[in-house]
Amino acid sequence: MKKDRYLADYVTLLLVAVVLALVPLGVGDSAHYLRIVTLMLIYMAYAVAFNIIFGHTRQLFLCIGALAGSSAYLSVVLATKMFLSPWATIPLGIVFAAFLGGAFSYVSVRRGLGVIFVGVVTLVFSLIFHNLILGLRELTNGETGIETKALGVGVLQSGRGSYYVILAVLMASLVLYHLLMRSRAGTAFRAIADDEFAAELVGIDVTFFKVLAASIGSALLGAVGAIYAYYSGFISPTEYALVSVDIVVLVTLLLGGMGTLLGPVLGGVLFAVLDELVRPLGRLNVLVYGVLMIVLVITFRHGLVAALRKIIKVRIP
Amino acid sequence: MPVVKGVSLEVQQGEAVAVIGPNGAGKTTLFKAIAGMLKPRSGKILYQGARIDGIRHCDTVKRGVVYVPAERELFPQMTVLENLELGAYTNYKSRRERLEFVLRLFPRLAERREQMAGTLSGGEQQMVAVGRGLMAKPSILLLDEPSTGLAPLFVSELYRQLSRLKAEGLTILLAEQQVPHALSFSERAYVLENGGIRLFGKSADLLGDPEIQRSYLGMV
Amino acid sequence: MIAILVDGIVQGLQLSLMAVGITLIYGLGGVLNLAHGQFAVVGGIATALFVEAGVNPLVACALGILSAGVFGFVVDRTLLLPAYRSAGEERLLLGLLITLGLSFVVNGFLDYKYPNISLTLKLATPSFSVAGITVRTASAVAAAIAIVAFILLFAFLKGTLLGKVVRSIIQNEVGAGLCGINPGRIRTLIVTLSAMMAGMGGVVQGLFSSLGTEMGNELTSFALIVAVVGGVRSINGTLAAGVLLGIVNAFASYYVGAYLTLIILLGTAVFTILLRPAGLFAYRT
Repeated sequence: MKKDRYLADYVTLLLVAVVLALVPLGVGDSAHYLRIVTLMLIYMAYAVAFNIIFGHTRQLFLCIGALAGSSAYLSVVLATKMFLSPWATIPLGIVFAAFLGGAFSYVSVRRGLGVIFVGVVTLVFSLIFHNLILGLRELTNGETGIETKALGVGVLQSGRGSYYVILAVLMASLVLYHLLMRSRAGTAFRAIADDEFAAELVGIDVTFFKVLAASIGSALLGAVGAIYAYYSGFISPTEYALVSVDIVVLVTLLLGGMGTLLGPVLGGVLFAVLDELVRPLGRLNVLVYGVLMIVLVITFRHGLVAALRKIIKVRIP
Repeated sequence: MPVVKGVSLEVQQGEAVAVIGPNGAGKTTLFKAIAGMLKPRSGKILYQGARIDGIRHCDTVKRGVVYVPAERELFPQMTVLENLELGAYTNYKSRRERLEFVLRLFPRLAERREQMAGTLSGGEQQMVAVGRGLMAKPSILLLDEPSTGLAPLFVSELYRQLSRLKAEGLTILLAEQQVPHALSFSERAYVLENGGIRLFGKSADLLGDPEIQRSYLGMV
Repeated sequence: MIAILVDGIVQGLQLSLMAVGITLIYGLGGVLNLAHGQFAVVGGIATALFVEAGVNPLVACALGILSAGVFGFVVDRTLLLPAYRSAGEERLLLGLLITLGLSFVVNGFLDYKYPNISLTLKLATPSFSVAGITVRTASAVAAAIAIVAFILLFAFLKGTLLGKVVRSIIQNEVGAGLCGINPGRIRTLIVTLSAMMAGMGGVVQGLFSSLGTEMGNELTSFALIVAVVGGVRSINGTLAAGVLLGIVNAFASYYVGAYLTLIILLGTAVFTILLRPAGLFAYRT
């Protein structure tokens, strides 16, 4: 009977997989729209990672793009300069991102410095990352970026192939999320998010679990960030900037609902639609997202999943 | 879960009333509610005929309800003088007179007037806290465990000064763990245990009560 | 060497000017303002617009700073209210997210509407000599503005009742309430003041080099580093931290180059934070 507890989760995962797998068929031949839905998947995966880091352990990492970008750049630079295969360098990037995220988390938890420290340091790290990429021009080609087409990740070259590869990555991350949350770690996360002090008193090793959440989330960011670089055919610092990644992830999770399985997915869909609607506005889209962020934080903080749970009265994962 | 439940107490003008009880009985919660730092879920707090429950604590001060918490809550990087003067915020222009009064009451503070409050000893900090409360021209002074962390000598001196204030007509509501001092100082007292009133009456009577003697005065 | 030191101090003063605003807003409102750099940009761009409209540059600066102040006032009275209604960590998180969103709004708007405008103030005499050292007039004027601002600030905080009230709230908000002080109204005043100081920082940036619409986040980051290193509740600390980091910045840029300097700066900041987590001048309770 224990299996029934997670029936909702399994059903949800299956539904998500099926629905998302069918999307390319709906899109038809349009390469443009295929790219849009693929990007949607990428951002959903980013959101899953941020969900683990912030949604569950309240660590406000304002360097999502920078973490993803660190992994991506490490991978691409090693691949181009040292002629290593991306299959070797992507894992390196993942480890690097996990290390960085874990380090930020460890230092701030150890020092008991809380939200301010994490927010400030990660925000500053975003700036550092951006400037570092620009500064190490010989390695990274600065603002212009590097082409990644010829690097031999063939499977990410074709339109539909990429979509399904990335969908697989997204599903893997959702499954990872599910497994994480049903494990002992998940219980610890819930306790920490609820009341960190009380969790400590009850004997939960808050440091370990926060660093774990940060590391796993960052590893996921690294994986997706690197894959994105190879998928899109080139890498440049603007692809990983605060206004490109962080704000999207924040809005996505606010829309969908933090701390839930379906949150990143629903949020991702809503955001993709929104993005399309806002496209004719050009560069004003950042403003729209900012406004949306403020409005959501104030009024709709718990997201769509929470709202649906109240309306339909079903425990949506 | 309510910390304080079904408590009813009353203080007349000019009286000194004590609330005694063990740690965690709810004395501080009760005082914070009266001072406006906590909102009671039900019930009323009436002051001079008007309701004050639900009013913010910065506004109760203007009405004359002044709270001196056990934690003192001083301004550590400001001088004793500045701490005291800020106590008179609600009637700042006339602070001179009150200041002289307070400094006469606590001469040690006059000596240390330019010293940073954070560098004072526990007893001196307590004096500043009480003095700051007095600067606000209270009609009723709520003192939460004023003897906390004080050496016995300081406690005696503190209560001596409180008696002087009482003699001048100040209404005082006192929460204390130092039961003997509290009961000899006050006219009436309430015994608070587990969030409810267990006993109340004239302090003199309570001092002679065998139960009180056993539980709080260490007598067998 | 001295020239670099002087340059560092002047830059440091500008950093402190920005950072003090963060310290004040945090001390009084419990909100870490991630849009602080945007206040500076608003001030700077407003000044540029006034100058373009033909207003006398000096008056334009004053108007620009005032605009920043008005902007800060409006933000405090509207956007930050939901944050003020919460307390503690909830308020902090809410404040962070709202101000982050605001930074995107301002950034997005200015980027769209004025992509090519930047504030560059050129002075009549580019430099002059003092005791054999050539000093950029811009640096001198910037330093003068910052120093005067700080002197006024300290006079206000130490000498006036309102200033003492502000300090009391920063040092102990509960204690202030016990004295009958209502932090709400004073908070608005301080947020406005902080925004104006940020506006000054923006104008000063225009004096040094130039201020563009995209600099908001960078300015915020620098201000945050300085505020956190100096102790996010200590004004003296913020001033000291700013000057210190300004000097580090100046020397590092000279010897090592712009991009690596940033790393060194952060390294210094992290180092001091690890040594003294509550800040250089924080009061140890």
